[in-house]
Amino acid sequence: MAQGTEVRERSATPSAPSARRGPRLFGPADPRHASSYPVSFLLPAFAVLLVFFFLPTVYNFVYAFTDWSSFKAEINFVGADNFERLLSNGDLLRALRITVVYAVLVALFQNLFGLLLAVLLENDTRVNRLSRVFLFIPVLMSALAVGYIFQALLKPDGALNAVLTRVSGDEVSTAWLGSTTWTIVVVAVIHGWKWMGLSMLIYLAGLKTIDGQLIEASKLDGTTAWQRFVHVRFPLLAPAVTFNVATALLGSLNSFDIVQATTGGGPARSTELLNIFIYRTFGQGLFAQATTMSLVLFLTVALMAFPVVGLLRRRENVL
Amino acid sequence: MKTARTLPALLVGAALLLPAACSDPGASTADTGSGDSAAAEWPEATADLAGTELTIWAAQNSNTVPEAVVAAFEEATGASVEVETIPDPYEQSVQTRVATGDKPDLAFWQPTGSQLSALNATQNLQPLDDAPYLENYKPELRDLTGMLDDTRYAALIKSPAVIGVYYNKEVLEENGITETPTSFDDMVETGRELQEAGVTPFFEMGGDRWATQWWVQVQLADAAADGLWDEINANETSFTDPVVLDTIDTYQGLVEDGLFNEDYKTATFEDEGDALLAGDVAMVVQVNSFFGQLQSKADTAELDEKIGYFPISPGGNVGTNIPDQSNALVAFATGDDDREAAARQLLNYWLSEGYPTFVEDQQTVSLQTEVPNPDGVPEALISENEALADSVGSMQSLAVANPDLYIYLADMLQGATTPQEVAEQTQAQFAELARAQGVEAFDE
Repeated sequence: MAQGTEVRERSATPSAPSARRGPRLFGPADPRHASSYPVSFLLPAFAVLLVFFFLPTVYNFVYAFTDWSSFKAEINFVGADNFERLLSNGDLLRALRITVVYAVLVALFQNLFGLLLAVLLENDTRVNRLSRVFLFIPVLMSALAVGYIFQALLKPDGALNAVLTRVSGDEVSTAWLGSTTWTIVVVAVIHGWKWMGLSMLIYLAGLKTIDGQLIEASKLDGTTAWQRFVHVRFPLLAPAVTFNVATALLGSLNSFDIVQATTGGGPARSTELLNIFIYRTFGQGLFAQATTMSLVLFLTVALMAFPVVGLLRRRENVL
Repeated sequence: MKTARTLPALLVGAALLLPAACSDPGASTADTGSGDSAAAEWPEATADLAGTELTIWAAQNSNTVPEAVVAAFEEATGASVEVETIPDPYEQSVQTRVATGDKPDLAFWQPTGSQLSALNATQNLQPLDDAPYLENYKPELRDLTGMLDDTRYAALIKSPAVIGVYYNKEVLEENGITETPTSFDDMVETGRELQEAGVTPFFEMGGDRWATQWWVQVQLADAAADGLWDEINANETSFTDPVVLDTIDTYQGLVEDGLFNEDYKTATFEDEGDALLAGDVAMVVQVNSFFGQLQSKADTAELDEKIGYFPISPGGNVGTNIPDQSNALVAFATGDDDREAAARQLLNYWLSEGYPTFVEDQQTVSLQTEVPNPDGVPEALISENEALADSVGSMQSLAVANPDLYIYLADMLQGATTPQEVAEQTQAQFAELARAQGVEAFDE
């Protein structure tokens, strides 16, 4: 409780700018904070965070250095053995590469679709409002359901080919999920489609906050709509771009459900994201190896997050 | 400032918890159930069990298997048995649960060496060595499977699958083929004849992937009989040696020669059943879950009329057996003596007094001398069961680990890899799994 006393003493100093001081954990409420919440209210949330997030992450580090498997009862430390093996056989790097490519594609499609929709549906007409609701529905759908629906639509004898056959008059039996090169793009489009409603919403919010005077001024300067978009509105959307790109990119690094339901990692494992690979390895009973991979994934996300967010924030500074 | 001080405290707290975390939770009851705790007693099949509750884990495709026999058992003993469905992929879900310390009393499980070690049988399962029901089996089936290191851990309830060829009788007849092929080469020859006659000889379901391994495994039947898997287990022979690699080459050659359905890259299990029933394809190399698929699409009379089965191997008609999860049960060492005994009692009931009820309800082939096959078992199933007696073990049965051969083969079908790469990937994964199990030859 010594710390509590310290805080109280310090807060007694009238000159100390109270807003700058760290939050209090215990002790009687400071009269000037009485209207705010006591920090101890956060404890349950922190406890949950500790048990379900922090500890698993720590264990994730620990188990990666063991030989934990379903085959035997004891768990021994094996040093960096798992890392050496995984790096030497190339499978891990392959899955990591696929994951990064996928994440970049998803970030691209999701933001492209979201931005297009936001610009299209910007005006608050009745039709636009209704369209926004419908376009937001995929965000609320189960990712597995989305995956299975698209898998059925894109089968060689699925609905898409049936429609194309009807329209073109020729028999179309393309295996849309059959190419080892392009399937990852198709799946990324599906992922982008599912989440585009969210990006749309955030871009819409961004567009709404743009000062009408700026638009008016640029109109008076004789700009075309395209010039206004490129030189005024899009740069002013920078904070929305930061949020959307970062969440799409980093979120899809952890992707699993959509791809698992659509392709299961195929064809020929060309869409086997790291998470699918981890899942498969875990299923083989190689728990330590799977843990090592998920640690690598965790580090990758962390390593990508800082530069990506930093870069996007710097864009905002130009404003 | 405050957070700067709480973080180290949290780290210390977490570090204190680590030693607890480093013992395998699945092993907490390790010594209670394993082998040497004197020969386990086998209660009478119908002894009173009022108040005892048992749980059986089953997969989505096996959760109805125990229904009738369990109801009869409850009736006879007063026990209450819950059949809990574990979501697919079943093996993976069960392994994960057991690894975290969650165990049922009984579970459906593939009774092969590799899958029993995947459950860490010596620690987690009850040995079933002196079970009274063993003498009921037909002698040639008694020791077919369910063993790991000479200890019996699984009870076979249904005829294990035998990899072989399901064929459309009408298609062969129409093309003047009256005798079924007598060896692998003969079968390929028949296939080529059919191809010339404009019939698709074989089917592959590259979309669902898992059946791709059957083409390689049937070609390995003779080598398996000569101890191939022992050599692979001892790290003396590798998947990259000609004995295995050649079979992969042959398989790819047949695909390239156009002996398979056009959509072999994307076709599914479902498509395969439809194609054979419709006569769009003449032959399918498969196991009996495929026949289950056919049974869901046609009745026994139609199946008897249309579908036949023969085993195949390079040198003749030897089948390759591959028991699956719906064929057998394992009893867990839960640490509760009464429930462990009750679980054994249920197995005993199932394979003695309850067995006629079971085969009748399931319309399945009987494994026991005294219990006849129920009327209405389709012919193809009986042929498959007949192939069992002189069959050889599959990779799953005899190899210490079960690598994802089928995935690597499916990759090859997609054109992404070569047979050599398939063999290398399979060997690498096999070595990894064997090493995790502590198999000596793979220790470094």
